[in-house]
Amino acid sequence: MSRFLNFDTLSLHAGQTVDPVYGARAAPIYQTTSYVFPDTDTASSIFNLERGGHAYSRITNPTVGVLEQRIAALEGGSAAVCTASGMAATFCAITAILGQGDHIVASTQMYGGNISLMKNTLPRFGITTTFVDPTDTDGFAQAIQDNTKLIYGELIGNPGLDILDLEAIAKIGADNHVPLMVDATFNTPYLCRCFDYGANMTIHSMTKWMGGHGVAIGGVVVDGGNFDWGTTDKYPTITEPYAPFQGINLWEEFGPSAFATRIRAEAMRDFGASMSPMTAFLLLQGIETLSLRMDRHMSNTMQLLDYLSNHDQVSWVNHPSLPSHSSHELAKKYLPKGAGAIISFGVQGGREAGKAFIENVELASHLANVGDAKTLIIHPATTTHSRIDADALVAAGITEDMVRLSVGLEDVADIKADFEIGFRAAKQFA
Amino acid sequence: MYFEVQGRQAFATTGGKPFDHAKPAVLFLHGSGLDHTFWGLHSRFFAFRNYAALVPDLPGHTNSAGPALESIEAMADWLNDVVEALDVRNISLVAHSMGCLTALEFASRHGERLRSVSFIASGLATPVNKALIEAAENDPEAAIAMMLGWGFGPAGHMHQGPIPGNSMLAGGRKVMRGNVPTELATDLRACDAYENGKQAAAAISVPVQVILAGKDRMAPRKAGLELVEHLPDPEVTIIEESGHMVPQEAPDRCRKLLRDFIFRENPAAAST
Repeated sequence: MSRFLNFDTLSLHAGQTVDPVYGARAAPIYQTTSYVFPDTDTASSIFNLERGGHAYSRITNPTVGVLEQRIAALEGGSAAVCTASGMAATFCAITAILGQGDHIVASTQMYGGNISLMKNTLPRFGITTTFVDPTDTDGFAQAIQDNTKLIYGELIGNPGLDILDLEAIAKIGADNHVPLMVDATFNTPYLCRCFDYGANMTIHSMTKWMGGHGVAIGGVVVDGGNFDWGTTDKYPTITEPYAPFQGINLWEEFGPSAFATRIRAEAMRDFGASMSPMTAFLLLQGIETLSLRMDRHMSNTMQLLDYLSNHDQVSWVNHPSLPSHSSHELAKKYLPKGAGAIISFGVQGGREAGKAFIENVELASHLANVGDAKTLIIHPATTTHSRIDADALVAAGITEDMVRLSVGLEDVADIKADFEIGFRAAKQFA
Repeated sequence: MYFEVQGRQAFATTGGKPFDHAKPAVLFLHGSGLDHTFWGLHSRFFAFRNYAALVPDLPGHTNSAGPALESIEAMADWLNDVVEALDVRNISLVAHSMGCLTALEFASRHGERLRSVSFIASGLATPVNKALIEAAENDPEAAIAMMLGWGFGPAGHMHQGPIPGNSMLAGGRKVMRGNVPTELATDLRACDAYENGKQAAAAISVPVQVILAGKDRMAPRKAGLELVEHLPDPEVTIIEESGHMVPQEAPDRCRKLLRDFIFRENPAAAST
């Protein structure tokens, strides 16, 4: 081949060598904890990072490796490390470069788990965070401190759906020698490849659209390979000798995959939040149809936006594809194929009307997840974001009447018919 | 580690072990547009087996100050200055692609410290497609795509890699993008202009090894065999399944060939 393969082809083939023994076309599930070494020299060289290979499935596994290389290919990153969940990915990525006394600048509009991690848990480890409205780009620059080592945000904020101005915020990071890490769960690499706009690492909860079928929990950290860690002495975990591996300098030895190597060498070994081979296999099945599913998600989303915007029981509708959304222009720039399959809207009649709507729809499932093939709804103020305080709720753009909708792949006429059942039940509170 | 050569800052990795010039050395030379990270799966192996591994970035590449050197002869002279500055002795030189042309010139003109040379994926010359040089001068991103597109075999295009989770194609692209864009054109012009391969090959007096790739479209088998013809009694291996980027595409096979050859021709204490 004299040119690079395209997204749909990589979704099906990247990272996989066809099984050389039986010729299995699908990626085999290597359900094993460990691997027989051919000799002591090979064993020691794998342990010393002298060569690639597998020693123990908490660190690497062949099935998980296919998924990692496939995602790296789709994102345009140099390397990827899969983890037990999206939250594990976030924790492993942050702790790979931050420690006691370090500081994060993060968006206020993020998944409640991300906010709780940075607001409640990381301070116990000496890592503090300043939260900034994602639409206040200058605010990110103003929040940078001498000890800031990370800018963190979601491209499509959850659940307010404000869009992060990737290029502008990546430039703020570059000017201050601070990497930009993006939780890209809501966009997937099909809707936006964040590295093309200057982001340096991405995180995915693959439980969502990447897997797409709601059958497996998993996460991934992707190393963009585009951050020059060695410019200053700010990142000693990457640029100074790493004692557990005989003093190897990861930046010198691994260059564009030094960050991913640190996660592999430290977080997977010491924290152990690894992905199982079975989970990797299930997620690979989802990745194979990522672009097809995302196109259908976007098509259904646009039709439901039209339906909800014109419904007399809907008090407001929020989605970046609507011209009324404050991030509409940024959505057109960064997400031309569609700004994600999450819609938030208010049911006339407030909290009780919203509750009646959610409890009476029959097709849409009331549960705490997004990105399933099936349509999902939830009331964020009492569930996903219930562990954050009232001020943080306001900052995250969450109101009492908000219903969060994750648009599925069903026939859109059936989704609309189902919603009519919910609206009829809610009418008494309007 | 950083050091100064010809009045400019230069950089080399040492395989994860401190550099000890008293040990037999394995000196790795990268090809055009690439850098030291190309050799990681080989330099660490030798560094952990009692060799002094040295993997410089050529001037203008990643961590070594530019500008890039404009001829293969200048690269060989620069390499000799590196060797003298660090007092590197008993050298096994391992070179890939453009690095092989530099190795030919270095071995024929400054070979007194050499114990062996391993040539990987190269001929006696590297005539470069004019369209590629023009792309490197005017549209480096297109040139990078052309080089990686031709350089990697099928496994590379499928984003496989010897290190689990790593894409060697994407890693290569990051390295090439990280260099000063105009330096790639300088490398390619230097390769295209080099004509002294036959004479240089004939002047080599240390044991030599040639490793070629069956799916190499940048230094095709025919060109590699011409190099073989002019070298003194080389050990020759063709790795049929690999593309041009042999040390990354077939690292285990390549490492074993290098190990067997270098352990024999330039033994280190307690090497196994």
